[in-house]
Amino acid sequence: MNPNQPAADLLDRYLQAIGEHLPAATREDVLAELRANLQAQIDDREEELNRPLTAAEVAAILKEHGRPIVVAARYLPQQYLIGPAIFPYYLMTLRKAAPFAIIIIFLANCSNILFVHTMPELIAGIFRALGQLIPDLIFFAAWLTAAFVIAEYVFSHNHAKPFSDSWDPAKLPAVKPQFKGKSRASRIADLIFHCCWILYVLAIPGHPFLVLGPGEIALRAFPVTLAPAWQTFYVLLLVLLAFQLITKIIALNATYDRSQAALDLVTKLFGMATTAYLVTMKAYFVPTGPSANLTMLANVNHWIGISFRIVLVITLIDFLVEAWKLLRPSISSRSLVF
Amino acid sequence: MNADSNPTSEPQIFDSLRLELRRGCLIVAVLAQLRSEHYGYTLRKALADQGLAIEESTLYPLLRRLETQKLLTSQWREEDKRNKRFYKLSAEGETILHQLLDEWNSINGSVNNILQNSDQR
Repeated sequence: MNPNQPAADLLDRYLQAIGEHLPAATREDVLAELRANLQAQIDDREEELNRPLTAAEVAAILKEHGRPIVVAARYLPQQYLIGPAIFPYYLMTLRKAAPFAIIIIFLANCSNILFVHTMPELIAGIFRALGQLIPDLIFFAAWLTAAFVIAEYVFSHNHAKPFSDSWDPAKLPAVKPQFKGKSRASRIADLIFHCCWILYVLAIPGHPFLVLGPGEIALRAFPVTLAPAWQTFYVLLLVLLAFQLITKIIALNATYDRSQAALDLVTKLFGMATTAYLVTMKAYFVPTGPSANLTMLANVNHWIGISFRIVLVITLIDFLVEAWKLLRPSISSRSLVF
Repeated sequence: MNADSNPTSEPQIFDSLRLELRRGCLIVAVLAQLRSEHYGYTLRKALADQGLAIEESTLYPLLRRLETQKLLTSQWREEDKRNKRFYKLSAEGETILHQLLDEWNSINGSVNNILQNSDQR
């Protein structure tokens, strides 16, 4: 602080700084009133001390009065982009629409993996789709926010109520039953069914009709057979089933909690990896003789590949939804955007 | 967040609740004080002298808002060779002040009853 700085100059500069943030219509009036009040305060203090105030003393008074931009803001009408009447509806729309937006955006971004053939390409495609999700979601939230800002502007300028006050408590949804996990009987049944399922899968190599049905006889008439890569898939499937068997046995005597949900999630991840292997298989049926119609076989392989890719995307979405459900209780509601 | 986990949260909560409690009371006090004419600085001093300190940056914009709501009237006048804006309670302001004081007394009575009843338990 320059001690030689005139005190009156400080007051002028302070008022000028406030004036920069005030609307032109009221600026002069507000500044004149502020000057009168501050000047009266300075006069009062000078009378008390029986001497003129130093620049530092005037600066202390101005500092106590407040930062110019904050002082000016208090003279402005309360400002908000989305007011308290509309904000709860904005938040509700954002919350309800977000899961659909995530699924639609993710599906759209996943379209490129329909055309990949190798595991690295597939993984890269999924990560690209996941990476693109965040900027796309920000874009979606920005558009939704803009729509509500416009709604706020329209309603506030027409002095209209955005939503009707009339509502009927009788039309509220029924109380949801509290989820307590599967009953013990249901878990036992689940385990028995799973054991049967394992036996069925184990029986397939010796009895292909269990999978292909009458198609197995029809297949014999054509010079084609299952590709050797199915054998690797079969091993992966058995590992997956064994893993599921362990989790079901553990679940038998445990209450459904977060660790159980985490285990389910790992199982889903395992299932997804198995499906991903199917996607990367070059061929599902291969010719066994020169008489095979290679064009038709290529078409069949292509469409089977597409269907496995679709299954992979669906299982990936299911995995993300379940992972979100598992993680959500750990994330503070304040740290969530919605 | 658990209040116990953050030692600073308690004073913050108190400050925030105190601010809410004071907001309405200040308006009643300002309206009551302006039954006699004041300009901003002397009004602030008069309130502070009676134990109700209020920041300038809160009081001066509040006066303008109350004037916009037609609860106060104002006029520029020269005093001690300086132009000052003097505020006074309007007729409409007097009516509202009466209503606010009735409300104030009713709340005050209810809170006292609640406190007395809770002390007896």
